[in-house]
Amino acid sequence: MTAQNDASAEHGLNPPVPPVDDSNPTGRYHSSAAERVQQDVSAGDALAPAAESADAESPAEKAAPSERFAWMKDTRQWGVRAPVTAHGLTVDAINIGIYGEIPDESREMTRMPRGSFATPGLPRLDNYSVNRKEELWSENAAWLYEEAIQRRWIAMQDIAWDALPTLLLDFELAWCQLCTELGHHAIAETDTIGQWLHRMNYAYIEPKMFLATEEFDAARHHEVMRHRALCNGGALGVESAGMVSRRMLETRAGWPETSVALYLARGVLTLLLYRFGAHYAANPVDRKIFSLCLQDKARHLAYGQGMLKYSVAVQGADFATSLRRILGSIEKDMAGELKDAVLWEALAIIAGGSVSGMKSGMAAVHKLRGDYVRQYVARLRYVGIGKRDDALHPDLAAALAGG
Amino acid sequence: MATLQDRPTIEMEQAVQDGFDLSWLQRLKEQIPGAADELAHDPTLAENTAGLLDESTNFTQRTRGALPRAGIPQYTAYTFRDKKEVWGYNLTKLYQEAVSRQWSSATDIPWDTLRPLSDDVEAAQCQLATFFAQVEFVAADVPGRFIAQMSPDYHEVRMFLLTQVMDESRHMEVFRKRALANGGGLMRMIDSVSDVTGGSTDNAREFTEMSSRLHIVGEGNVLTLFRLGELMAYNDAEKAIYRRAAQDEARHVAFGVLHARYMNECTPERREEIHAYLDEAEDRQATGNGGENPAARGANLTAESLAILLGGGADKADEGQKILAAIRQRQVKEYFQRLKSCGFDDRIENGRVNPALLEAYKAAA
Ligand SMILES: [Fe+2]
Ligand SMILES: [Fe+2]
Repeated sequence: MTAQNDASAEHGLNPPVPPVDDSNPTGRYHSSAAERVQQDVSAGDALAPAAESADAESPAEKAAPSERFAWMKDTRQWGVRAPVTAHGLTVDAINIGIYGEIPDESREMTRMPRGSFATPGLPRLDNYSVNRKEELWSENAAWLYEEAIQRRWIAMQDIAWDALPTLLLDFELAWCQLCTELGHHAIAETDTIGQWLHRMNYAYIEPKMFLATEEFDAARHHEVMRHRALCNGGALGVESAGMVSRRMLETRAGWPETSVALYLARGVLTLLLYRFGAHYAANPVDRKIFSLCLQDKARHLAYGQGMLKYSVAVQGADFATSLRRILGSIEKDMAGELKDAVLWEALAIIAGGSVSGMKSGMAAVHKLRGDYVRQYVARLRYVGIGKRDDALHPDLAAALAGG
Repeated sequence: MATLQDRPTIEMEQAVQDGFDLSWLQRLKEQIPGAADELAHDPTLAENTAGLLDESTNFTQRTRGALPRAGIPQYTAYTFRDKKEVWGYNLTKLYQEAVSRQWSSATDIPWDTLRPLSDDVEAAQCQLATFFAQVEFVAADVPGRFIAQMSPDYHEVRMFLLTQVMDESRHMEVFRKRALANGGGLMRMIDSVSDVTGGSTDNAREFTEMSSRLHIVGEGNVLTLFRLGELMAYNDAEKAIYRRAAQDEARHVAFGVLHARYMNECTPERREEIHAYLDEAEDRQATGNGGENPAARGANLTAESLAILLGGGADKADEGQKILAAIRQRQVKEYFQRLKSCGFDDRIENGRVNPALLEAYKAAA
């Protein structure tokens, strides 16, 4: 038998809490709205161990301890044995039974671990403003979290810095400029996530934990880009135009709205700049640096898109329209950054191999800018925001056309 | 380091004639002599903070030393832009150690060594794990908030705190995993986190207030416990969890101590204020309020769980309580050691220290 909250009523130690039912297991979680959308987190094999354990006795019933240890009864589901998988004991593997039930909404304003036995009457923290599943959840977050840990790398150990060859000065400085820009992207990402992380409700630890890995990745990206700019005889370049960074930081509406700026307006560009660096790397050291960062960034976008797609699917057409509306001002800043000479000239030198090769290098720059807008639009469509090419900011439309 | 070959600027002149701007490239060339100084601050090398500005005017998220542009909105409006508010010693060393010692709770814990435990011991282990699953991410949420308010000119501080965000995420899930891996389950959330109207780690708005409470006292108490994990562990998986978590926690505590030492040496005018933070934090250590000491007498759920684990069963909990009393003494001894290390041990001698802690210390001496 599974011990329930009301078991505590038998003991003076713990005050009783209201009876619970399956749809409202703690009294502070709510399920309803998202049922329109397929959400099948606790189905299938994952349930098996917990279903088995539903018959297990609670420790208190078995061990019959004295009243002194009355808390031993206080579990909502006992007898859980999460399976160790081929990938180890993963976060997905422990999402079994009630512990894998993700509420559509949480009004639990403490740090109560999801599925633990609620203690009534606790004061609320003032932290949380992100309390609904569709405001941060992505089905892939738990897996991406484990992947981030498995694929971690160490900037000062995994890169053969001493093997960086001498580069011609202008060429080296163009790389330095690219690295300065990407170092800024990492700082902007850090600040943006940092101001939201503590506002996310504890019912949704998987995305919170994934975002912790993104913060950690961003520290590494800042470290590696800064070091690359400084270590080969060059110097740090001109700071980023930072217009989209400002959007990321100043968006207050919600985490999905922030994520449109963070992952789609900015993240896509960051991803393409890492890809550009890996493609045009003049030596294996640079190729490795940019390839490793690219891999991390792809993971970040996988979360961001998964979250936005779920968010739009649950919140519907009105919400998609609201996101489309905020894109107007974000696109204005994207267009502003597209006009900024510093980054694009540096890329032209990199692609052209030298300052005298800039003219030919501009072809690669035009392609990158076109790819940026194309991928931005494609990902908007993927997540359900749906943006027609003819509704783009004119400068983005021009970039799409190769301008 | 590679040496560079300069090229004639005639190429640049030609490019400008072709319509490129390239003024930025000229600015970079002028930057080169200063780059060596910046590199000297870099994480690979011994810490050299000479030349690091006491006050940051970087409000645009540029990495330290990058060339500012004119006319950009100062949109970050960082709250913490004074070196004397956030700095500490050995920051780069702690950062590099953190990135080198990352581990995976999925694959680095020998989960296959878990064996069925008696229900009272399993329950105690699960209750303790529930506590850690509840409190560990505090130390990720809160530093995350401070990072976002701190000038990136002090990126050594930010980057260390980012490793802490990662570490605490792993701590939260490794204990959740433990609770759900061996036939048990999550148990009761603790009720000692109550101070939400101010004066808590969550609500701290001042960096040193947060750090003294979180890093030195809260995490210090937990570090002592993790270090004694052998006493609470019943298999290699649990031993590995406590050992690895202790290694991470030691870095977090070291950060706090080295920040406090810096503050003591560089901002003597704030010593009284820092003592006041320690007054509050010691009260929490002694009482268990705020969830900051699971071994404290007042922390019923976790203290009873610890007594069962330490004694070897519910029927031997009284034995366990004696060991727990010794652990409390050890927590105080280690805390006093930290006070000495950061230069705030005058409170031990002058009677300011919390009497309950002093009593425990004397009993241990
Ligand atoms: Fe921790
Ligand atoms: Fe910690």
